[in-house]
Amino acid sequence: MTLSNSTKLDIQNLNAWFCEKHALKNVNVKIPDKEVVAVIGPSGCGKSTFVRCINRMHELIPGAKASGKALLDGVDVYGGMDVMDVRRKIGMVFQKPNPFPNMSVADNVVAGLKLVGTHSKKELAEIAEERLKSVGLWEEIKDELKKSGASLSGGQQQRLCIARALAMNPEVILMDEPTSALDPASTAKLEELVKKLKNEISVVIITHNVSQAARISDMTAFFYLGELVEFDETRNIFEHPKNPLTERYITGRFG
Amino acid sequence: MLKEPEYLTKINAEIMEMQEIVESIGEQVQDALKNRSSGLKPVATELCREAQIREELIVEMCVGSLIRHQPFASDLRALTVAMKVSYDLSRVCRYLRNITEVLEEVNVKNCEVKEVCELLKNAREMVRQSLKAYFEKDQKAATNLIKSDESIDEGYRMILRKYAVQKASGNCILFNGITARIVERMADHACYISQETIYLVTGRRTDYR
Repeated sequence: MTLSNSTKLDIQNLNAWFCEKHALKNVNVKIPDKEVVAVIGPSGCGKSTFVRCINRMHELIPGAKASGKALLDGVDVYGGMDVMDVRRKIGMVFQKPNPFPNMSVADNVVAGLKLVGTHSKKELAEIAEERLKSVGLWEEIKDELKKSGASLSGGQQQRLCIARALAMNPEVILMDEPTSALDPASTAKLEELVKKLKNEISVVIITHNVSQAARISDMTAFFYLGELVEFDETRNIFEHPKNPLTERYITGRFG
Repeated sequence: MLKEPEYLTKINAEIMEMQEIVESIGEQVQDALKNRSSGLKPVATELCREAQIREELIVEMCVGSLIRHQPFASDLRALTVAMKVSYDLSRVCRYLRNITEVLEEVNVKNCEVKEVCELLKNAREMVRQSLKAYFEKDQKAATNLIKSDESIDEGYRMILRKYAVQKASGNCILFNGITARIVERMADHACYISQETIYLVTGRRTDYR
């Protein structure tokens, strides 16, 4: 069940392993275009493995492998796409903000573009400004663009990382607990940003904060022991989940 | 079935207190109606006020629990339903008090009140059963209760028909018509409680009308 008609990512029979450990079991899910999908579940349930499989970061871990399909607009990221192209189209934001400490704020934003493109200095500066504006950072730090990215607050660093991901013009952004290290004010700003981002791209966000999932997502996926237990409109998941496991998890009666 | 969180147990304890108030006022109104006696209005008003204070307390407890616990799924439904059930009980109280007002204003000494007494008895039983289904989260009992509302509606229509054609004094027609209507509305609130019980159990909204 989806809110919109078009599917951005179509995950089919996705399985993932860490050596012998079967971490993700036959996951089938359609990620809608321009919507926010929250991924929830207890620690170790396969949430991070799931999103890392989507942009082929899972395979970077020694002993890790994956099977199945992840179709981005119908093209399998495991078949017909160059891995760098996959990661450009499917950006990732991590739990802990990771700006490049030896780069300025502005250089952080366009670091990816510098690697893959042939943009002039002027173009890079314009992109940096545009992306910093889109994450709501420009007014806060426009006079500090030459400072190190690491000098910003935690919340600013996380938005800087999102600006960096957006600079690549991704079609999907994956976020792995992006607010877990942020204070409430920074969390609120980031949540607003996520809601804004869906006007342009699809967002898949892992969160342990079920209230956050309820606040910001259109659809919610609940994982348990490597399996996708339930995927439905967020309202349905949080008001009357179909599966008793989902009910137990979101009402805090797990374990 | 999942164990109920402590805050919901406390809220339901308050609803039980409200039920006791409703039972108390209901019993007294039933007797007053049977004996065609007036003078109960001050007591009914006081009991209604007590019920209203409890309703406000329940809403406060529910809002506090929403903020503190940010409940979801069955816990969230339980809170929204508790607020509505307390409102329904408060309304039932006010309907019972309205009957005492009518008894106060209309001279009913020589009126036939058997049918309306029976109707009130049945409506009070409906309120009782709707709360039983709510506390026991009994979807089947709640569904059956909604079906039984038809008998109250029929009783109300029967009284209207009877007094429309029978020769009776104006005050008796007025009293029976108004009181039967009040009782019919009371039974509607029992149905609302049952409707909420079904939502509490299933997560799906139904409109019993």
